Amino acid sequence: MTEKEQKQIFNEWLHNYTGVAFKIVRVYAITPMDRDDLFQEINIQLWHSIPAFRNASAVSTWVYRVALNTAIKWVTKERKHNQSESLDNEKQVLYENNTGTDDRLAWLYEEIYKLEKTDRSIALLLLDNFSYKEMAAIIGISESNIGVRINRIKKHLITKSIKNEHHGI
Amino acid sequence: MEFEEMKKIWNNQENEFYFGINEAALHKRIQVKRKTGLHISNTTELMLIIVNFCTGIFMLSIHSTKPSANTFVYLLSGWMFVIALFVLISRLRRLKRELRFDRSMLGDLEHALAVASYQVRLSQLMQWSVVPAGILIIALMWNAGKSPWITVAVLVFLIVTTFAGRWEHNIYKNRKRQLEILQKKLVSKG
Repeated sequence: MTEKEQKQIFNEWLHNYTGVAFKIVRVYAITPMDRDDLFQEINIQLWHSIPAFRNASAVSTWVYRVALNTAIKWVTKERKHNQSESLDNEKQVLYENNTGTDDRLAWLYEEIYKLEKTDRSIALLLLDNFSYKEMAAIIGISESNIGVRINRIKKHLITKSIKNEHHGI
Repeated sequence: MEFEEMKKIWNNQENEFYFGINEAALHKRIQVKRKTGLHISNTTELMLIIVNFCTGIFMLSIHSTKPSANTFVYLLSGWMFVIALFVLISRLRRLKRELRFDRSMLGDLEHALAVASYQVRLSQLMQWSVVPAGILIIALMWNAGKSPWITVAVLVFLIVTTFAGRWEHNIYKNRKRQLEILQKKLVSKG
């Protein structure tokens, strides 16, 4: 693959899947600095994954796989460094668009963020209508395991929403 | 709330992005990367020029007081002068090239990328320059009849230096890679 072709594919992916990267960043990173860092890391890994993409799966599946694996690895790595690194006051590149934000959506993101790191991926994929088979291929666990986890996630989110109903969620 | 309702809420976000990109902050970050790259390049170049030149002079002056001539000393000193001269010329070319970049975000990014590419080339050159220098040092020690243990110790030191050089080279390659990704993103945006 020539660099020109790689660039073209990358630009196409950026155009179509930036929203996916944003969703993943939102459920895996909480501070603005971490969000910038993860967003950049996802883009770098996507760029490097292009030559390995063989059209065996849909582009969206591939993008999700690369981005989620990057996020999971990033979370593990970040936890190791978190305590030693100080926060700087530098202005952040990614900022939150507050126009018309739905409180229920914000609540949903917050609850997904609280889940275990693999469950966060499953919750994202589930909400984005991926099949069990696709989820298993993306995350690298069995379909039956996916099914068990989905049931648990659904129950957890529904219970949490009931508890929060009196707060207007 | 039922899960299907959560899905509806989720699907409603499709038309707008939760995050925006702060261009001023991005520009600031690129400028910091550019300045850091320039600072590292500047320091590396000066160190390489001074160290190679001074070591070459030092070796020649020490050797000139000895009665017998050793070709390897001259070759090694010569090699060090060549490296010092090469780095000096590269530095002058780099400084000349710097004038062509404008101060827009893309201009700064191109500048940062040029500096990163230069660092990659320079660190690669330094990595390879150790090989002839190492061969000459070993030959010199062999010729001077030094203990094989000292020769082995020097050899180990040279191998460690090569690995350290490779490690440094990879850091520069990663920096360059990050800047290239950023450049592609900016170009695709606008």
